[in-house]
Amino acid sequence: MNQPNEDMKRIDELMKTALRREEVPSGFAERVLARAEQRPAVTLEPERIPWFHFFSRPLVRWAAFTAVTASLIAGSLHYRNVRREQAKGEAAKQQLMLALHIAGSKLQLARSKVNGIQTSQPRRERETNRSRSKS
Amino acid sequence: MASRPANNQLDSPELGFAEIVRHHQSMVFSIALHFLADRSAAEELAQDVFLQLHRTLPSLKSEDHMKFWLRKVTAHRCIDYQRRRRAPQISLEDAPEPVASTHSADPFLERRVRQLIATLPEKPRMVVILRYQEDMSPEDIAQTLAMPLATVKSHLQRSLAILREKMTRTIGEVLI
Repeated sequence: MNQPNEDMKRIDELMKTALRREEVPSGFAERVLARAEQRPAVTLEPERIPWFHFFSRPLVRWAAFTAVTASLIAGSLHYRNVRREQAKGEAAKQQLMLALHIAGSKLQLARSKVNGIQTSQPRRERETNRSRSKS
Repeated sequence: MASRPANNQLDSPELGFAEIVRHHQSMVFSIALHFLADRSAAEELAQDVFLQLHRTLPSLKSEDHMKFWLRKVTAHRCIDYQRRRRAPQISLEDAPEPVASTHSADPFLERRVRQLIATLPEKPRMVVILRYQEDMSPEDIAQTLAMPLATVKSHLQRSLAILREKMTRTIGEVLI
């Protein structure tokens, strides 16, 4: 066998010898058992399940999908109703404003007529008094 | 005892666990000791691994599964421990003095080899330890460390080249 192989074999042997298993300190097992006894009884640690795994069940997934769809439909219907009510209110407001405007202008007309009557009445009275004194 | 299934411990859980600890303690402790080069840290880490095993035991299906689990958890805990300690890449001079083996052919040589191994980066060091202490194949190491096989092979090749170079430089006259 050539020299490098011999060297490698020797190093291999040396590594195996240097890294052979060691004896544990005396009383090691007893110390482990004493520590184990201080702990709670042998139990498997409960597996932690992420919250979103809840939705991995088909039934839950369908229920969630249905709930989301139903709430979307209900929300859009409610929004449409609100918009319709708002539009109705706006139209009523416009009608009221128009009615008030018409009523205002009618009132103005009536007042001007009343004023016209009041200014013509004293002249007539003066004319009748003058004709009486002549006679 | 080596082929004893893990589920047998259900008959008497604590007795079964004690047997398991005694059976695997050397493996777990040695991986930690060779990696950390610190006897008390290695013992503490090995104890923590067995306490974790105590909690996980019912989910382990066989002896092989348990052995695989122990190696995996020990390796990852060692690497995590080293990172938490924020130990910088150490030079050969700064490498901790490894514990002398009780039945060594050449204690000086072995100590130097362990010092050299301690200078390797974390993952390559663990690959080398699993390869030579546990005699694991690169495929098994890749599975244990959750690493691509090519990475394991390259870590092994590179680490051996580095170690060989350092060995011939520092202890060449003893080795050859």
